[in-house]
Amino acid sequence: MKRVLVADDASFMRQMIRDIIEPEGYEVVGEASDGVEVVEKFQELNPDVVMMDIVMPKRSGIDAVKSIVEKFPGSKVVMCSALGQEALVMEAIQAGAKDFIVKPFKPDSVVSTLGKVLEKDD
Amino acid sequence: MDIAKYRNLFLEEATEHLSEMSRSLLLLEKESGDGEAIDTVFRMAHSIKGMAGSLGYDSITELSHLLEDRMDLCRQQGRVPAGEHGIGLLFRGLEGLERLVGFVRETGEPPPPDEALITAVREAPVEFPEEAESGGDPPKKA
Repeated sequence: MKRVLVADDASFMRQMIRDIIEPEGYEVVGEASDGVEVVEKFQELNPDVVMMDIVMPKRSGIDAVKSIVEKFPGSKVVMCSALGQEALVMEAIQAGAKDFIVKPFKPDSVVSTLGKVLEKDD
Repeated sequence: MDIAKYRNLFLEEATEHLSEMSRSLLLLEKESGDGEAIDTVFRMAHSIKGMAGSLGYDSITELSHLLEDRMDLCRQQGRVPAGEHGIGLLFRGLEGLERLVGFVRETGEPPPPDEALITAVREAPVEFPEEAESGGDPPKKA
């Protein structure tokens, strides 16, 4: 079972991701509510993939991706963005994120993106 | 999707966000260049937009999106301008969001849009007045 870390400052969004992916066979091994906590939790839990919001307190999702990828090359991070954040998504991809999904979430799209990212053999 | 579960989560979290937004706007009323407060209002609007969008509360999504864009401008300029198009408009936006969230709490239904407020935020000037002149709106001619 693939292990997922979910990072979003809104518990609403964390719960929604959990409800979408757990029935599909993913295990949510941890949650983080800011950009500092997600890096700490990554180090602690070593998940297969992180689903990370771009806009978070303390440290942005983009900074957190940079930090995770620097410390753990090959890490898989999927950004959760909103419409109108295309420039930030590009920045996150350049920082090392593997893919992105757009809010409001479409369950099929979330699951297929996650599957695609985890299939990629880096 | 269990709509009732998510509606309750939304109401709980949006109410907290609106309180935090209110505290930050009060700080910005005193210190217009408080970067942390500007960032907080931006994030709260962004977060409410995301939750409302997931539940199909289009009027809340639209207003919070416009406020988020407004706060992005403030971040770029490093301050919130004074006057009715600046901090005053943000307080109106906050009150508007409180009304819309209150409607969801009372009825459980998506709230109707506040067209006048949407127009006011959408049409607010993107050029901020010079700081020296930002103690209020320019005086009207006699």
